[in-house]
Amino acid sequence: MSTAVTTSLPRTRRLRGTLADRPVLVLSAVFVLFYLVTGILDPSLFSTGGLRSVLLLACPLALFAAGQTIAFLTGGIDLSVTMTANVAAYVAATQSGAGPLQAITLALVVGAAAGLLNGVGVGVFRVHPLIMTIGMSSVLLGIVSVGLASGGFLTGPAVVPPLLTTLGGGTLVGPVPMNVVVWAGASVVLLLGLVRTGLGRTIYAVGDNPTACRLSGVKVWQVLIATYVIVGILAAVAGLLISGSSGSVGPSQTNSFLLPSIAAAVIGGTSILGGSGGYAGTILGALVLTVLNRLLLTLGAGQAVQQIVYGAIVLTLAWVYVAVSGQRTD
Amino acid sequence: MTTPTPQLTTMPAPTSRAARFRQQHGWVVGVAVLLAAMILVRYLQVERFGGFELRALTAGTLMLALLAMAQGVVVLSGGINLAVGALMVLANCFSAWLMEDASVATCLVIALATVVGTAVVSGLMGWLVTVSGMPDIVVTLALHFVFVGVALLILGGPGGGTNPDFSRMVVGGYSDPLPSLLWLVAVFLLVWVPFRRSRAGIATYAVGSDRQAAFLAGIVVARARVQAYVLSGVFAGLAGIATTASLGSGSPQESIALGALLGSVAAVVLGGVALAGGRGGLLGPVLAAFVLTLIPAILLSAGANPNVAVLLEGLIIIGVVMLGGLLELRRRKQ
Repeated sequence: MSTAVTTSLPRTRRLRGTLADRPVLVLSAVFVLFYLVTGILDPSLFSTGGLRSVLLLACPLALFAAGQTIAFLTGGIDLSVTMTANVAAYVAATQSGAGPLQAITLALVVGAAAGLLNGVGVGVFRVHPLIMTIGMSSVLLGIVSVGLASGGFLTGPAVVPPLLTTLGGGTLVGPVPMNVVVWAGASVVLLLGLVRTGLGRTIYAVGDNPTACRLSGVKVWQVLIATYVIVGILAAVAGLLISGSSGSVGPSQTNSFLLPSIAAAVIGGTSILGGSGGYAGTILGALVLTVLNRLLLTLGAGQAVQQIVYGAIVLTLAWVYVAVSGQRTD
Repeated sequence: MTTPTPQLTTMPAPTSRAARFRQQHGWVVGVAVLLAAMILVRYLQVERFGGFELRALTAGTLMLALLAMAQGVVVLSGGINLAVGALMVLANCFSAWLMEDASVATCLVIALATVVGTAVVSGLMGWLVTVSGMPDIVVTLALHFVFVGVALLILGGPGGGTNPDFSRMVVGGYSDPLPSLLWLVAVFLLVWVPFRRSRAGIATYAVGSDRQAAFLAGIVVARARVQAYVLSGVFAGLAGIATTASLGSGSPQESIALGALLGSVAAVVLGGVALAGGRGGLLGPVLAAFVLTLIPAILLSAGANPNVAVLLEGLIIIGVVMLGGLLELRRRKQ
């Protein structure tokens, strides 16, 4: 008996250490578990179509959550991602007469511009990111409403460019939808960029200790502007893909992604206080949430139960993460 | 300031009374002046500024003002509560569910029970934040989902009701526009002012401005934070009751909770409460709630397109906050 105790103690400690160092492993296990449970209840999930639908739905969420992740890393947050996505989708749809590439470029520029304004507010004017992006969100809603009013600049025929329909809803091969190509590209850029580039490292540094950054010569405001521009572009891409898969645009089409995008980043182990975390966890966070949604649908849970379970799972995973990693906020 | 003799010591000159007043209350006075100017504009804009206008303003602001207080007290304690909107929706649905076809006396009991309930729930939320060590944003965000879900369980869709006499008692009528203002003043004077002066209130400010220092000064940090959440729950519950009374029904929609949350944060920031905690009061957020309600009304009457009004509202909020940021920067450089 005593030997069992003495060997099991270090083993749990080692396990804890592994979990704390590699939240991705824990999340992968959670994802596999959810996927298996859901698949047992609804065998169609194991088919090509089932896998495809999970990837298709996880992609836009993961792109929104990518934006939240890098905003979190600088110690910020962006609540305007979904409105940015809505505006970008509108721009692309109404400008599609000018050719798909021009329409998409314009939409991305709009996303970058919204991000630029957020970045200037947060970085230069030191406005709290929460309030800056809430304000930006209402400004963007106003712009869409003005544009949609009779004679506005968005009243033209809104046609989602065929290129976006293919990218957003098409299938590459087997269970892999086309939007995963975009997601994979963004993921590689983010995963490598955050670790290997100067900007990526300063994003972590700024979130960890802005004062130390300023004293060591980092122009914090430039880093913040760059961060929010990237967030804006990611949001625009997500908005374009969503409009492509649904084939339509709407002034509040993507709004239901806002809180899940934050939840995905939190579940992925990125600290909302800045400085620690990464995109790998967020990818798994988005996948976990997508499968969770599917599980709740399979169980035939009403919207009320879905909401409650959703909140409870986010809470539980965040708590497990804090307990395992020992990173308390106070 | 240009004294020819060199300063011998580095002791700072004592700040004058006026300077202190400006530092402590300058922002609130600014918001009050802005509000007065806006009420004047509104007064000139509307031909007969009577009971109808006054009631629209006071009843329309009651909910946002209470929510701003709910958010403000947690922000003062150094946190943020993303669940206030959802808690309000929950209180709204719960009370509307029970109040349908109830007498006025029953309605009052239900209202009291609802407020006690939200206070307990919010206190548990605060306890969870302090015990788990999770960031408050995460906990309150997750519970936002849960609260909306529970509201949806209680009331499957928009529905419920309340006693018309109870409604009149809370939000008044066109010939009697003052009740909601009186309720707001009563809540402010009877709940917030005594709290602020109590040990618990001072602890809230201390914990908000520097948690470590407050701990070293012997304040039980966790208790102070939970108290702030309990008070926040009281205000959010009252906001829910106010919504039930003014709408006469409950609507368990997440978009309402989200909109209410964003409004509460905007009012708190506009009201001069530092999001870092510990600085400001709840008078500013309440005044800011009136400002936020008046902006669209004035813009619409001035002939602005309703959509342009939404746009301008956002721009005004951002502009004011940026101005605040600039002033803060200048003050730090001095």
